[in-house]
Amino acid sequence: MLKNHIRLFLRNISRDKSTFFINLVGLSSSLTCVLLVFLWVKDEVVKDQFHANKEQLYQVFRHVPNGQGSLNTYQSNSSLMLTTLQQEVPEVEQAVAVFRINGNAMLQTEDKKLASTGFFASEDYFKLFSFPLLAGDMNTVLRDVNSVVISKEMAENLFESEGFPVGKSLIIKNGEDGLEDVFTINGIFEIPKNSSQDFDFVLSYKKFLQNRDINDIHWGSNSSSMYALLKTGVGIESFNSKIEDLIKKKDSENQASVFFGLYADNYLKNRFVNGKKSGGRITYVILLSIVALFILIIACINFMNLSTAKATKRIKEIGVKKVVGAEKSSLIFQFLTESVLLACFSMIVAYAMVALILPWFSNITGKQLEFPFSISLILVIAGIAVVTGLISGSYPAFYLTKFKAISVLKGKLPTSSGDHVIRKGLVIFQFSISILLIVAVSIIYMQLDFIQSKNLGYNKDNIITIERQDGLVNNMETFLEEARMIPGVVNASYMQGDMTNFSNSSSNHRWPGQSEESKKFTFRHAHVGPDFIETMGIEMKEGRSYINEVPNNNSKIILNETAVELMGLENPIGTVIDMRGPNREIIGVVKDFNIQSLYDEITPMALVCRSEWISTLLVKIKAGEEKKTIAALTQLFEKFNPGLPFDFDFLDAQYEQLYLSEQRVASLSKYLAGLAILISCLGLFGLVTFTAQLRKKEVSIRKVLGQTTSQAFMMLSSEFVKLVMAAMVITLPIAYLMANDWLSDFAYRIPLRIWYFLGAGCTALIIAMFTVAGQSLMAAKSSPANALRQE
Amino acid sequence: MLLQLKNIFKWVNSGGQRIFLLKDINFEVSEGEFISIMGPSGSGKSTLLNVIGMLDGFDEGEYHFLDESVHSLKEKHRSNLYKEYIGFVFQSYHLLDDLTVKENLEMPLLYKKYSSSERKAKVADMLDRFNIVGKKDLFPAQLSGGQQQLVGIARALISNPKLILADEPTGNLNSKQGEEIMELFKKLNDEGVTIIQVTHSEKNAAYGSRVINLLDGRMI
Repeated sequence: MLKNHIRLFLRNISRDKSTFFINLVGLSSSLTCVLLVFLWVKDEVVKDQFHANKEQLYQVFRHVPNGQGSLNTYQSNSSLMLTTLQQEVPEVEQAVAVFRINGNAMLQTEDKKLASTGFFASEDYFKLFSFPLLAGDMNTVLRDVNSVVISKEMAENLFESEGFPVGKSLIIKNGEDGLEDVFTINGIFEIPKNSSQDFDFVLSYKKFLQNRDINDIHWGSNSSSMYALLKTGVGIESFNSKIEDLIKKKDSENQASVFFGLYADNYLKNRFVNGKKSGGRITYVILLSIVALFILIIACINFMNLSTAKATKRIKEIGVKKVVGAEKSSLIFQFLTESVLLACFSMIVAYAMVALILPWFSNITGKQLEFPFSISLILVIAGIAVVTGLISGSYPAFYLTKFKAISVLKGKLPTSSGDHVIRKGLVIFQFSISILLIVAVSIIYMQLDFIQSKNLGYNKDNIITIERQDGLVNNMETFLEEARMIPGVVNASYMQGDMTNFSNSSSNHRWPGQSEESKKFTFRHAHVGPDFIETMGIEMKEGRSYINEVPNNNSKIILNETAVELMGLENPIGTVIDMRGPNREIIGVVKDFNIQSLYDEITPMALVCRSEWISTLLVKIKAGEEKKTIAALTQLFEKFNPGLPFDFDFLDAQYEQLYLSEQRVASLSKYLAGLAILISCLGLFGLVTFTAQLRKKEVSIRKVLGQTTSQAFMMLSSEFVKLVMAAMVITLPIAYLMANDWLSDFAYRIPLRIWYFLGAGCTALIIAMFTVAGQSLMAAKSSPANALRQE
Repeated sequence: MLLQLKNIFKWVNSGGQRIFLLKDINFEVSEGEFISIMGPSGSGKSTLLNVIGMLDGFDEGEYHFLDESVHSLKEKHRSNLYKEYIGFVFQSYHLLDDLTVKENLEMPLLYKKYSSSERKAKVADMLDRFNIVGKKDLFPAQLSGGQQQLVGIARALISNPKLILADEPTGNLNSKQGEEIMELFKKLNDEGVTIIQVTHSEKNAAYGSRVINLLDGRMI
């Protein structure tokens, strides 16, 4: 029986190649898209899931009221938190503190030098996190002050000899923290592929504490990340409400409340809005899954529509089979077999397509995706194919087999208006999805464009950022002085962190006339060089900048407009602020400028002229002379760092990195939208071709009676154009709401204008019209004599 | 007795009016009969044939087929009944264009419980009996009308029905082909198969043993 079905299926294909082609192209391209998105989603959801303790492993967050009515969330905590967690919170089994070294550190052996990233971590780090240790004991690798654990990759690059270099020494230097010491390698770790973290070395947290000024360690200085392993059976909800006031109890002036969030969740749910985990990558995971599913549905609809539209061609077969004794169930089985076969065939094509375009897909998603040949994956793929086949075959199967044998044998398909409504509804649905995707893509692109061209309050063009490393650690000022002498260099300065990551903050500042409410304010806080404001092109609102200032004079501070406004200072210049430590006098106010991404609003900000903890050097160069100037800078850099490659970035490129995930989603959805409209149009093309054939006689009779070709053309194409217009009317309000929702995440966003939506709708309409036009025209132009003679 | 129709009425409602397709039909058919149903166009010949073949229902009356009361049978039961005992032959043959002669013959067997070897044997037997072994791998479009109807009859006979229902079996054939088909029916009838045919032609009706005349849904 099955053999017969397959044989009939193949003969049907050869008889009606165009329908087969439309279905094959539609199903295989949508399955390709489903497979790619599946691989992408799989890669996203397994991130950080390899930690054996993932159910109990939490990160400690702080919620701080920002004085603007909502909460800001910070990952950083005071290093005092570690002992507090270990000794005073019984629910915590183990806790670790991590201090991330900003930028690169130099790892040096006698004959090699490598720039690498790493952090300080307290003793239990490798017990909490399951990074496999290839050498060393997880209980003791970080016990000694001067111990270091390095990655397998680092070990291979630094020491070419066989075996693990345990016990060997390394010099590690980092400019920002004034770190320079000899460390002993105590262990080698490996980073699993599905880790969201990537690092080359881990130092002991004891070393970090040793390097700190004791005055800098208090509850208001938040420098480290904290992780804790909760005992099994601790309910996180009740624990979080119990622990909330932990910091406030220790430091009555501190406004921060404590919150434990599951570490394994952080990758997907990485955005906080007003103290609550709110989306992040998970939004895109869900969104893309839904879009891929919809595209598959669009292709299934093509299959349904074409199969039912062409029912008359198969109706005789069904009638005859019923008369000779076929039961309805066996006919349904036959049609489902056909659709499943088609889906499986499409899946094979899709599989080959995926293998072919995976490198390209990896590239636009910025992932290292693999397409492993495993039984479980094959089962999943086969499952998707079968389900696709069943879904697309179900409606035609039941539709075609429901008629009585006698009526179909008469050659007339009893048409009910219900069938037409369903078919039209399906076409409207397809185009609704397509229009929605077109709107989504254009809104995402316009918003990204807006962000990239928005006036940030500083000039990001032609600024080169250089990491302060190695030879620049001690000779930063000299380097900058010499850099300024290069003819193509406009100005040069330095800063703590960088312009896209201004993460340090301070709180509990006091000033005269301070309101109770404003005691809660947290300031973003950065050390900058004397020419920073000029180099970055930031405008002064009042007072003076740090120009010609000698760094490390602890009595001065420059604030931004937002800070001054929130502090309620009428005449800020000259006001003295108590910053827990030195008192500082406000010497200037800068106009607001954006740091971080435009998701966030501008926060109060303080710039202090200090040369400590500097990680980035900034050099402004003349436009048009980039090549020459960079060559000169390279030479200068090599003078200070013999043997080290000159590694630099352009600030505008770094800025684009901030929106990398949006950009990736945008380029992905561009392809998905294109695919959706393509498949929809394929289906429309099939339907039009078919209706044109069906109505040939009608058109002929009408033409004999005097209808012109253009009237016939209008009659044939208007039916489908009306459907697309209906889709427009239904979709645009939905699209408006969705676009508004997405944009509301941004503090700075484009206004929504009606023509964005009309434009998207018209795009779909025009594409659909072109699809319909050719076939309609052919039918309209055909000679009536030909069609009527066939009768 | 093979079948019996008692006071059969069939109607459709159109514009508030009841239009009768069949009106008070009564007759019996014994095994081995060869009956012709005659009448002008629209007199209800095909409708009657379809009612007998259980492809179509009726609104009033009783229908007994081999001691089963068809009018009170469930759909499933009824289809089992006609599957087993009735074979159909159509004016326009109704062969499946995508299947070869051999596959067309085999198709009815697929829906009954025959093993693959049984099916092969029956198909071979039928090809032999109708002298169309040489045509077994051809598609219907490659055959003449007479040959196609031959295949149609062979298909109707393949599962050994007691009754053959033929709706103007020679309507699409030229006179020579038509005669051959009628000779074949006569021969089958002699072998014991009961045949009911719908025909316009007195000449074809003459092959049968009895004629039922219809006019506007009534027997006359």
